[in-house]
Order: sequence, then C-alpha cells, then structure tokens
Amino acid sequence: MKVEDIRKMFPALDASVYGKPLVYFDNAATAQRMDKVLSLMGDLSAYHNANIHRAVHKLAGDATDAYEKTRDLVKEFLNASSREEIVFTSGTTASINLVAFCFGEAFIREGDEILVSEAEHHSNIVPWQLMCQRKKAVLKPVPVDDDGYLRLDVLENMISSRTKLVAITQISNVLGIINPVKEIVNICHSKGCKVLIDGAQGVVHSGIDVQDVDCDFYAFSGHKLYAATGTGVLYGKKELLEEMPPYMGGGEMIGTVSFKETTFAPLPEKFEAGTQNFNAVPTLGPAMEFARSVASDSEIVSYNEKVRDYLLEALLSDDRIRLFGVPHRTIDKAPVFSFAMKGVHHEDLALILDKMGIAVRSGQMCAEPVMDRFGVTGMLRASIAPYNTLEEAEYFIKSLEKAAAMLA
Amino acid sequence: MTLEEKKAEVIDDFSMYEEWLDKYEYLIELGKNLEAYPESEKTDDKLIKGCQSRVWLDYKVEDGKLFFRADSDAIITKGIISLLISVYSGRTADEIASDDFGFIENIGLKENLSPTRANGLVSMINTIKAAAEANRKSAAKEDDEVLSADDVKALAPMYENVVLALKQVYDPEIPVNIYDLGLIYELNINKAREVYIKMTFTAPNCPMADEVLNDVKVSVEDVPGVTGVKIDLVFEPVWDRSMLSEEARLELGIDLDDENSEPSEPTEYDGYGLH
Repeated sequence: MKVEDIRKMFPALDASVYGKPLVYFDNAATAQRMDKVLSLMGDLSAYHNANIHRAVHKLAGDATDAYEKTRDLVKEFLNASSREEIVFTSGTTASINLVAFCFGEAFIREGDEILVSEAEHHSNIVPWQLMCQRKKAVLKPVPVDDDGYLRLDVLENMISSRTKLVAITQISNVLGIINPVKEIVNICHSKGCKVLIDGAQGVVHSGIDVQDVDCDFYAFSGHKLYAATGTGVLYGKKELLEEMPPYMGGGEMIGTVSFKETTFAPLPEKFEAGTQNFNAVPTLGPAMEFARSVASDSEIVSYNEKVRDYLLEALLSDDRIRLFGVPHRTIDKAPVFSFAMKGVHHEDLALILDKMGIAVRSGQMCAEPVMDRFGVTGMLRASIAPYNTLEEAEYFIKSLEKAAAMLA
Repeated sequence: MTLEEKKAEVIDDFSMYEEWLDKYEYLIELGKNLEAYPESEKTDDKLIKGCQSRVWLDYKVEDGKLFFRADSDAIITKGIISLLISVYSGRTADEIASDDFGFIENIGLKENLSPTRANGLVSMINTIKAAAEANRKSAAKEDDEVLSADDVKALAPMYENVVLALKQVYDPEIPVNIYDLGLIYELNINKAREVYIKMTFTAPNCPMADEVLNDVKVSVEDVPGVTGVKIDLVFEPVWDRSMLSEEARLELGIDLDDENSEPSEPTEYDGYGLH
C-alpha cells in the first residue's frame, strides 16, 4: 500500500486552507475520517435508522445487527476473550469515568490508593480525583524521567497493599513514548493490583492484545482511530465488570423494573444505559479494518517510519528546539512530537503555521501536570497519521523555520 | 487625531496587506515596538483571563484621560494589544466607554483568530471597556443628595426588597445567586426611588453577560416602588472567591484557606475535549 492510496480514502486531505494545501498534523487530537466511515454513517442515518435492542420491525433489526456485529469486531480487534467484555461508550473519557465510578463503588475503601503516571492527560487524572474524593482514597502520580520515560522502578516501589488500581497511558498524548504495558501489568499483578490502560493514542499507533497484555481494563476512542466521533470502547475483564454496579440507569440496561425492585441486564448492556450511538458505532468496523491493514502492510509501515524518523531527526538536530519525550530507541516513539522553541511562543508559531496551511496543536494539550513536570506553560505538537507524507513533513520543518525567522 | 480618525488609519494600514502572513508580520512589528512593561509589575491582578498566552494590562488616568500599557509573552498577541492601545490610549473614559469597538471587525482580526484567541481578544477589549466604565461619571451616583432620617426610614424596606430581588438572579456557571457571590459592589437608592447598582462578573468575558444584566434589571424593576434602575458593570476590583458570602461558601463547600493556597495559574480552556 502506498501513501497516495491511503490519502484517496480521506476526503478532508484534499482540502486547502487560506489557499494552501492542508497539512493536517493534529491527529493526536482527532484523526480525519475515511470515506467508508462517512458513507456508512450517512447510510445508517438515512436508511437504517431505528433504535436498537427494542422494536421487532425490520429497520430496528438492521440497526441492532450493525451495532452488535461491531461488538464482535471490537472483540476480535482487541483479542478479548468474550463479547460481553466490550462496552460501547462515547469515548476514552467516558470509559475511564465509568471505571472510576463503578470500580470505585465496588472495590475502593477509605485509605486505598490509585496510581497514575505524571504523563497522563486530564481524562486519566480527573475521574480518579473525583473517585478519590468520593471514597476518601488517595491518588498518587508515578514520575516520568527527563526523557519522558515512565519510572518503572519507582512504580514498583510505590505499589503497596493499599494500591487497588494503576491507570497508565499506553502512549502519552504529549510525550509520545510507548510504555511497556505488558511489563507494567506484570509488575502490578505481581503486587496484587488491577491495571487500566488508557489506549486513546496507543490503539492508533501500537494496537493491543488485551489477553496477551493481560490488562484489566482498556479504554479508547473511535474518533482518533478514523471512526465517527462520539464512539468509544471500554474493555473490562468479565469477572470485574460482573462485580461492578451499573454506571447510569435507564434504557435497556435493566432486567425488570418495578418501583419495589429493579434488576439489571447482563453484560455488556448493564453498562449501556439510554439510547446508544447506533448510527456511529458501526463506523468502528471499517476504521479498525483500516488500522489493521495499515499495521500489517510492511510498505506503508516503513514509509510511516521514514516520516517519523525524518521529523525526529530534524527536531533533535535543531538546538533551538527542546523535544519532550526523547526516545532512547526510535521504536519507543510514536509519531507525536511536542516541543518548545527557544525565545518563541508556541501560540505565535501555531498561528503562523495555520496561515501556512499547517494544523498543529499549541497549548497545554489537556495535560497541565505534564507542562508542570517539564516547567513550561505550553508546547507545540505535531502528530502524524499514516496518511501524512514525507513532503508534508519537509514542508512543516521549512515552515517552522520560516515562522521562527518571522518571530525572531 | 480623533478616535474615529485613528480607527480609520488602522483600518487603512491593515488593508495594505492582502496576505494574512503579511498582516501577522505587521502585528509582530507592532508587538516588538510596544513600550516595555516592567517585569515587576506583571502581577496576577493585571493578568487578563481567557487568553492562551499571558496578557497583562494596566492603565493610569491623567487629566481625565486613560493611558494603557500592556505586555504578552506571545508576540502576535502583543501586537494585537498594541494595536488596541494605539487606538484607545489617551482617550477619555466616556469616549472609550461609548465606542462600539467595531473597527476590530472591519480589519477582519476577530474572525481570523481561532476561537480561543478570539476569546482572548474579547477579554482584552472587555478589560479596556471596564477600565473606562470604572472611570466614568455615573449620574445616579453623582447626586450628592442628602437623605433625611425619614427618607432613610422609608427607603430601608426597599433596600431589603432589592436585595431579595438580586438574590433571585443566579450566576450562569456557579449555582449561587449574584448577591451572595459578592458580584454587587454598590447599591444605592435615591430619593426619586431610582436604584443604582455597581456590579461585576466572575470573569470579564462571560458569554451570558447581557442576559444576566437584563435579569438584574427586570428583577429589580419588579420591586414595588422602584422607579428606575441603572447598572454599571465594572471589573475593578477584580472579583475573587474571597468576596463570596458565608452562605455561598457553605453552599459551594469551599474552604477559603484551601482555595487561597491553590496556585492561580491560568488554565487553558478546553471545554470541548480537544485533547
């Protein structure tokens, strides 16, 4: 597969902004949608729109099939052991909040501890803070080193008998360093605590085999994986999900309802209260298929690595630039490059790059603690997808140079 | 140069550049040439909230005219604030307060900024407006009328009713009424039963500002006996949590000592989950 073939699948990439061809380097915030995703969503909305799991009519049957078939596809994609372990949510944030609430209700007592890394985005910090407030538990951050690597030695020492859960990102949305999740899970399990992996970035760049990694929970969003927004997944081990109380009430999450007593539906419906996002969830199908085909295509994989390596080299060799998340080996780095440029404000750079047609992120990237860790008020981030080309990367570096000259 | 002439000049200068990159070059130049702002005076009370970059704005009043100075850690933002200062510095409070700031739209600046930066621009404008409002002479307040003991007696229940009316208006973001939030800085009723209110908002760029002001007006006008309402919106002194009433604090479960120990770093607005 060639990058040109991939680009044809994404209508947005043809766009121009301010009369310049669009260079979309904000993929860590959200990826562009594939034509198959867009047409499927339109098709489902136009011709197969009916609420799922309820009515007996044809349209309802079609919609339910499309939705439930996607659950099987997600199960395969993550290599989960059963479809009951796949809960659809509105995204990573919703998935983590679900675990923070329901796992908290079931398993967390006063004085228990939850660990997260210093490199988490707010979605993997704030839900735990809320849970800790509710349950009088304690949230502790595990440090990362100056290069952005998680301190596994410190993690190991921080886990005590009070530690009930470790919530760690697979890949930080700022640092782009790929965490050794299997090793992390091993350490945690050997000490008797559960692990949630935040796969918001990881599912895109590394994928996951939840049985092999043996994590207890895995959360990801559809929109960063080329699917429709408002789709997301929580994977949870069946025995844990069984013991957790429901999150929200209403809709089809019930067994029977009376004013005396309500019983709950079995997994996974127990956690899917209210009308589900049935026009969008099935778009995970083609999106996951695309992600898998890219990951298994050696031609495009090596091309993407070339783009990554070029950017890494270009950013590291410029002594005005401080890169956050410096890999010891290139394979440790996902193509997420956050950096600061000496004497130049990230906002100014982003503003000028925008007018050159380049979409990058500037600011705190929803991860203020990471900014504090590295002592900056914000960064500039370029995050790359398989459809980004070497020419775009070169144009980006040239434009960065030009913008810096304007601002100097 | 009058305010109108100056605005026309800026619009003219801006229209010389067709490309946005050239307009940025121009703003960068303006930013670089902005008069230095002493580091020691970059205090939190001069910081404008709502910008991605940090912006400090201060002013002094001389001969009835307002003179502004400002700084920012981002150069384009600094250029924008420099542009505003070049137009509004040295004008009277009345001149600034009655201006509609429409020329910003004429140069296409606002719609060419991303929403977060446009917010920052709005915050800068609001801060300049608030400074002007704070220095404006207000009609009701200026009446140096002497109230007799009888007047005071007659007006006292009205004060209570106006406070009750103010307590019916809620902040759009915090579930506490504006009175207990401490947003009312001044409340006067004159002999003619006209109510004068000086109030603020928790943040200068409150998108619900007009609605809240209208709610205040309607609610107070409904108080029996009130013949008129005049509201002055000010942003000085800047509202902070220490102005909350005891009730409001209890309601929100805020321990003031805890709050004060928190760092007051500006946080990036990201209400749409754009990670």
